[in-house]
Amino acid sequence: MKAKQARIIEDPVSDETTQSAPQIVARVIGLSKRFGKTSVLEDIHFDVAEGEILVLLGASGSGKTTILRVIAGLEQPYTGRIILHGKDVTDLPPRERGVGVIFQSYALFPRMTVEKNVGYGLRIRRRRRKEIRETVNDLLKLVQLEEHRKKYPSQLSGGQQQRVAIARTLAYKPEVLLFDEPFGALDAQTRVKLRREIRTLLKRVNVPAVFITHDQEEALELADRIAVINVGHIEQLGTPEQIYNHPATEYVATFLGAANLLPGVIRRGNVEIGSRVVPAGVDLNKFPEGHPVKLVFRPEDVRLSKTGALPLGHCLVSNGIIEEVSFVGAFERLSVRLDLNESLTCDGVETPFYLTTETPEKEGAKPVLATRPRPEANANRLHVGERVMVGLASFTVLPDTAALSISQERARDARG
Amino acid sequence: MRHVRGFDIVRPLSIGMLMFMMLPLVFLPLASIFIFGTSKGLTSFWNALTAPEAVFALKLSMATSFWATVFNVVFGLFAAYVLSRYNFLGRNALIVMISLPTAIPTAVAGFALLLLWGPYGILGRFLAPQGIQLMFTAGAIILANIFVTFPLAFGVIKPVFDTMSRSLEEASATIGASRWQTFWYVTLPSLRGAIVSGALLTFARAVGEFGSTILVSGNLAGRTQTAPLYIFAKFNEGQIEAANAIAIVLALFSFLIFSVLFFARDWLDVE
Repeated sequence: MKAKQARIIEDPVSDETTQSAPQIVARVIGLSKRFGKTSVLEDIHFDVAEGEILVLLGASGSGKTTILRVIAGLEQPYTGRIILHGKDVTDLPPRERGVGVIFQSYALFPRMTVEKNVGYGLRIRRRRRKEIRETVNDLLKLVQLEEHRKKYPSQLSGGQQQRVAIARTLAYKPEVLLFDEPFGALDAQTRVKLRREIRTLLKRVNVPAVFITHDQEEALELADRIAVINVGHIEQLGTPEQIYNHPATEYVATFLGAANLLPGVIRRGNVEIGSRVVPAGVDLNKFPEGHPVKLVFRPEDVRLSKTGALPLGHCLVSNGIIEEVSFVGAFERLSVRLDLNESLTCDGVETPFYLTTETPEKEGAKPVLATRPRPEANANRLHVGERVMVGLASFTVLPDTAALSISQERARDARG
Repeated sequence: MRHVRGFDIVRPLSIGMLMFMMLPLVFLPLASIFIFGTSKGLTSFWNALTAPEAVFALKLSMATSFWATVFNVVFGLFAAYVLSRYNFLGRNALIVMISLPTAIPTAVAGFALLLLWGPYGILGRFLAPQGIQLMFTAGAIILANIFVTFPLAFGVIKPVFDTMSRSLEEASATIGASRWQTFWYVTLPSLRGAIVSGALLTFARAVGEFGSTILVSGNLAGRTQTAPLYIFAKFNEGQIEAANAIAIVLALFSFLIFSVLFFARDWLDVE
C-alpha cells in the first residue's frame, strides 16, 4: 500500500516529464509539524501544477489547515521544504512568498471600501494610481462586483465578500492561491453556486490553487486532484475519479461518499465473505492466501434483482432481504441484509471463515446500503421483506489491517 | 409583583423612585451651578470668565491635559499591543501594574511624585543641585495627570486588540505588507474608535484632576494653577462668582465630551 501511495505522488514528476506535461508551480516536500510534543503533520509531499486545483480533504483536526498555513508562511514547519516556482521559500516571511490566502472569515479590511480592499496589494507595492485603478476595474469586472465598489465589506453578503477576497489576492498576481475552507460560512445554496463560479474563474485566470475543505462533495466538484488527509498524513492523492472509484484505504472509502465494507478473506485469489466467494481476481503478491480483507463498494454499485438475472459484468454476491426502503430526492435508498452465512448454494467450499461468523462484531450481518435512481426504482418496485439477489457493478479490495492484527495477536496468544 | 387590575404598580413606582433619588444627588447640584453662576446676569459671568487668571487656569488645564492624553494614548496603544500579542512571564503582573493607578487615591499619587521628584525626593535631590526642578511647574502637572489617567486609554484599547481577528493582519502579511504597513493600514483603523474614546476619557479625567495637582503644582496663581485649583482658590477667597464661572465651563466641557462618547458610539464602534 505504501509503495502504491508513493507512486501516485511521484506520478506527475517521473511519468510526465514530456513537453506536454504541466509545469510544477508549488511543491511541498517532507513536511512535518509539531505543536510541543504532539505531531500534527507527518511527511507530507505533494505538487501543484500550473493552473491545477488541488483539494486537501480531511476532517476537522486532520491538520489540513496547518499545511496551508505552512505554505503561506504563517506557521513554521518542523521539517520539510516549500518550493514555489522553483524557489525554496521555507525561510521567507509570508509577505515575500507571493501567495494569496483566502481565509474562511474572508479577512476583508473593515475600514476599506471594496475597491480599496482590492487595490491594497498594489497600494502597498507603491504602484501608480492609474495602474491600481485599471487593475481594480478589471478585477471587479471579473468577479462581477462593479456596482458595489464603494461599499464596505459589512454591507456585502457572504458570497460577495468572498469574491472581493479573491479579487484582492488576484490583484498582485500570486504564484498560488490558498483557500482555507472558503465556503464554510455560507449557506448550502450559495456554496454550490459560488464553488462553480470559482472553479470557472480559477480556470480562466490559470492560477494554481490549493483548497482546504471537509466537504467531500465540494472536493469532488472543485478538484483536479484530491489529497485525503487523515490525522496529519496523506491517505491518498489522486484525481476525484481515482479517489472515489479506487480508494486506497478504508478511511478514504468511508470519508469520501458512502461505502459498504464487507470483511472477508483471500481464497485462491478470490474474496471469500462468509459462505460466498466473490470473484475478485486480486493480485496474489499483494494479498497472500488467507489474508483478511475488506470488500469495499459504493451504494450505487449495488444491483438488486428479484429474478436473479443481473446485467453483464456484475458479479453476484449473495441473497438478501430488503429491510428498509426510503426515498431521498433523486434516489431510492435501500437497506439489504445479506444471507452470508447460509451455505445452501455453495458446495465444495470450506467452512466459513471465523472472521465473519465468530468475531464479536459479526460484521457480515451488517445490512448493505444500496441506492437506485428513480426510473429504475419505479420500473422495478421493491418492498420491505422481499428476497433479492445482490450483485456488484464494481468494488475494491482493501487489506483489513484491524482484523490482521487481531488474528496475529490470536496466533501469538495460541503459541504463548 | 402585585398587579392591580392588570396594571403593574411596581413599574411607575420604581422609575419614580429612581428619579427621586437622583434628584438631590446629581440633578440639583449640577443645576445649582448654572442657576448661581448666571444669577447676577451674563455680563458678570463673562467678566469672571475673562479674568486673566481664569483664562490662564483654563488654558493651563487644557494644555497639560492634552500632553498627558497624547502620552497615555501612545503608551496605551503600545502597551496593549505588547500585552495582547505576546505571552511572557510576568505579563499579568504588568497588566495589574498598569491598572493600579485607578485604585490609588489621587492625593497619594501627588504625594508619591513629590517624594520622588521633589527638591528632597529620591531622584529630585540629585537634580536640584543641577538647577533642575521638576515639581511646582507645568511639567509636574503633566506628570501627575499621566499618573492618574495612566490605565484609561490602555483599558479601552486592549480589549479591542484582544478581540481583533488575527486573520486581518495575517491577510495583510500574505498580501505583501510589512509589519509597519499592516499596523498603519489595517490595525490602526480598526482601533480608531477605541483610540478616540480612550483619548476623550483620559482628557476629561485629566482636566478635572485636583488631588494630585494641588500637591505637585504648588497652586501658584497665573503660573501653575489649573482650572479646578482656581475654583478651589477663589472659593477659599470668597469669590464665589469667579469660581462659579469656571465651574460652569468645566461642567459644560464634560457634558460635551460625554455626549461625543455617547452619541458618536455608532461611528466609534463601526466594525
